[in-house]
This record gives sequence, C-alpha cells and structure tokens, in this order.
Amino acid sequence: MSTYGTPAAGPVVHDPTTLPADDNVDHYTFCVELKGTQWFMQKGKMIAYYGSIDFNGIGHGRLDRLVRTSFHSPLHASDWVVAEGSGKMLLADRAFDVNAYDLEDGNLTIRSGNLLAFQPSLSLKQSIVPGFLTLIGTGKFVAASNGPVVFMEPPIRVDPQALVGWADCPSPCHHYDHGYLTGVMGGLRAMTGLGGASGEEHQFEFVGAGTVLLQSSEALMTEQATGVPPAEPGVPGGGQGQPGGAPRLPGQLGDLQRRFGL
Amino acid sequence: MFRLQSSKVLAVDMTGDAVKAKNGSMVAYDGEMAFKKLSGGGEGLRGMVTRRLTGEQMTLMEVKGHGTCFFADRASEINLVGLRGDKLCVEAGNLLAADAGLRTGTTFTGLRGASQGNGLFTTTIEGHGQAAILSDGPAVLLRVGPQYPLTVDPGAYVAHQGNLRQSFQSGVTFRTLMGEGGGEAFQIRFEGDGVVYVQPSERNTIAGDV
Repeated sequence: MSTYGTPAAGPVVHDPTTLPADDNVDHYTFCVELKGTQWFMQKGKMIAYYGSIDFNGIGHGRLDRLVRTSFHSPLHASDWVVAEGSGKMLLADRAFDVNAYDLEDGNLTIRSGNLLAFQPSLSLKQSIVPGFLTLIGTGKFVAASNGPVVFMEPPIRVDPQALVGWADCPSPCHHYDHGYLTGVMGGLRAMTGLGGASGEEHQFEFVGAGTVLLQSSEALMTEQATGVPPAEPGVPGGGQGQPGGAPRLPGQLGDLQRRFGL
Repeated sequence: MFRLQSSKVLAVDMTGDAVKAKNGSMVAYDGEMAFKKLSGGGEGLRGMVTRRLTGEQMTLMEVKGHGTCFFADRASEINLVGLRGDKLCVEAGNLLAADAGLRTGTTFTGLRGASQGNGLFTTTIEGHGQAAILSDGPAVLLRVGPQYPLTVDPGAYVAHQGNLRQSFQSGVTFRTLMGEGGGEAFQIRFEGDGVVYVQPSERNTIAGDV
C-alpha cells in the first residue's frame, strides 16, 4: 500500500474502495457508481473518475433508444451527455453545494442551471415555465445550489433568485406587492429604485400541496439554455411574439407600468 | 509549523525560521516579521531565467521572524501537504506557502498544460517540510495505485504527489466537431503510486466547452 498522503491526522485520501456509491464525498463533490449502467449529466461536470467510463453526446446514435425513453427536451440535447461504463465518477460544479434527491413516482421542477445529473429511470422534460426543467418518475438526481438547500411547505412566497425548484404540484405564480407599487410614486420607485425600493416588491407565490426548494443565497447559477419551445399557438413563449409594445427592459415589472402610464 | 486557522486562513508559527509564500498573501501577523520579495522564487538566476522562459511565473516572498503569520488568498480553500522527501507538483498559481527548506523548481508537464491554458510547465516542490496549496472549494484527495489508475478533468486538477506518470487522453472524435461531443474531450490519466488533488470546480479551459 502506498504511504503517500497518510499522515497521522491528515486529510482523508480516497480510493475506489472508500469512495461512497451514489452519495456525497463532501458538501461539494458527489460520487456516482456506474456498474455497466448509465447516467445523464450536464456537459463538463465530471472532475475525475476511476475505472473505464465513456462520455457520449446525446446525439450518439447508439443512445437513441435511451434518449427516446428518458429525454424529452430535444432542443437542448447538446448540453447533456450520457456517462456509461463501470467505475466511480466524481461530479462537482463551481464549488457549489451538491446534493442527491430521490424521486419515487414523483415529479420535480428545477431551474435548468441547477440540475447536474440524473438516472435514466427518470425522464427529463422541458417545463412550461421558461428556464425550468421537470423530472418525472422514480430515481435519483443530483442538483447544485449556492449554499445548502432549504425545503419549505406552501403556502409560501419566495424571492425569485432564491428559488431552486418545486416538487409535486404547488402552483407557481407571480406576486406583486401592490400596496407598495400603486400610484405614480410607487411606479417611480419600482422603475428607478429612488425613494426606497426594498428590492422585495416581487415574489413567486406557491400554494397547494408539495415542497418548495430554496437556496440560502440569491446568487443565481448560470442559466442553461432549455431550448425554445415549439412555435405553436397556445405555447407560452412559443415564438409567436408579444403583440404590440416595445420590448421589455430588464428590471421592469411586467405590465404594471402600463397601468401607471409609464 | 503550518496549521489551518480556518479552512481559508493559514497560520504559520515561526521561531526565527523562514517560509516562502505567495507575494501579497499575508493578511495579518503578530510578533516580529520581515518580508522580502524573492526574485524568481528564490531559485537563483537559473531559476529566474527558466521561469521567464517557461511562463510559469511565480512571485514569492520570504517571511522570516518570530511569532505567528496568517496567509490567505481570495477566500480559496487551503490544503496542507506534508512532504517527506517526495515531490509535489502544483500549478504555480495554486501554491500559497512552503517551508523555506523545500526546493522549488519547474518541470515540463507535457500536453496537459496546453489544454488547461496554464502553460506546458508546472512547479515542483521537493524535500522535507510542509506546503500549503490553494483550491476552489475543498480539494478531494484521490489515491492512485497500480490496480486503479485515475482519470482527471484538466480544469479540476490542482496538484499531485508521489511517483505518478501522467498521460494525456483526448476523446475528440468527428462527433465533437459536429458539436455533439461528450463534453470531456480532454482528460489526464494518472498511473503509478501517489495522490492526486482535485478541486470541486473547473477552471475555464481552452478545451472547456468541447
């Protein structure tokens, strides 16, 4: 046995036998065990592996059947790869907290940038909510968050930047603090931040039975493109274009401005 | 004597001896300390020329005195490494401090550096003593043995120690060129006997998005 890295009270040195199977190595690193099985993962999140593992783009012809059964977002296929082979693989993402979650015949919607990897027994679909992905079925998935994830029960209002995702079926909707926003002064405050905008005039509201996942910081993960939804009538954001009006500036609060004549 | 004040602050207790540390990484000290810039990392004229030529720039200072000196760098995690006559290879930017008695130098790493954007050379530390290396997030230490070689993403590699051979693997195929690559086109494979330090984050690499 090697003597390197085994001082009396030194850091833990891992080898293939001591690495956990499908569990966290520490808060920031997750170990996946592959035994001839497959995992879907976001491109470039593997940091190291033992054994022999192949990484193939979703477009790989041999994976067609797998993709057909568990991957329903053809439009962002290029961001995902399939890892297959046998060995142990470490996943991490920009030193953010990573955690595995088990779904049992359930569903979970998650911000696209937070999802790192999932078992093919789950199927991944584009959510109707732009920028989010929905996982349906039974299996394990790995997600990253800036700071540990907090689980909350609806009814709850959450800050848009802190939202990671939600499970089961609460109804996500926007909530505006109308008391603070009505009138000309309110509109000015919202537009310019002058006169004491608290920055908390807009939340996401969840009601219904389910769980809401929050991260304990408001730093957003980089959005992963989820692809453009098909351009069909009735599909939100389906490329039909918003009728009339100038394109909305970032930071503007929906169509409330119209009501204030701004 | 090196110890971790917290996971992000290194404390060095000194009694008249010296340590080499990354230039400007001192955050506090008590006692009497003298800081001296080491031109060329204290490797003499030859080392200076080598570093200039190889682009493995490393600005070190020598800290000498009595008391405790604290070092930190951009809130990066710090990992202590004990060396007993063996060799540690680390990227120059990831070295925070080392005992003054340790020899530092540069070595050719082959093709790994090219894909990492860090140059083709790396810093080596040899001798008996302690060193502190930086990582983005706490480093995971992975043992490499004759039965279990290890493959590492170049963007997550921090350092390695022991008697290891590294080879460069490329998974670039015609599919990569079509934009459907596996996302892990460049990898370093370690074989032999030793320990590899990997950070839970990937530097931006030239090959990062392949």
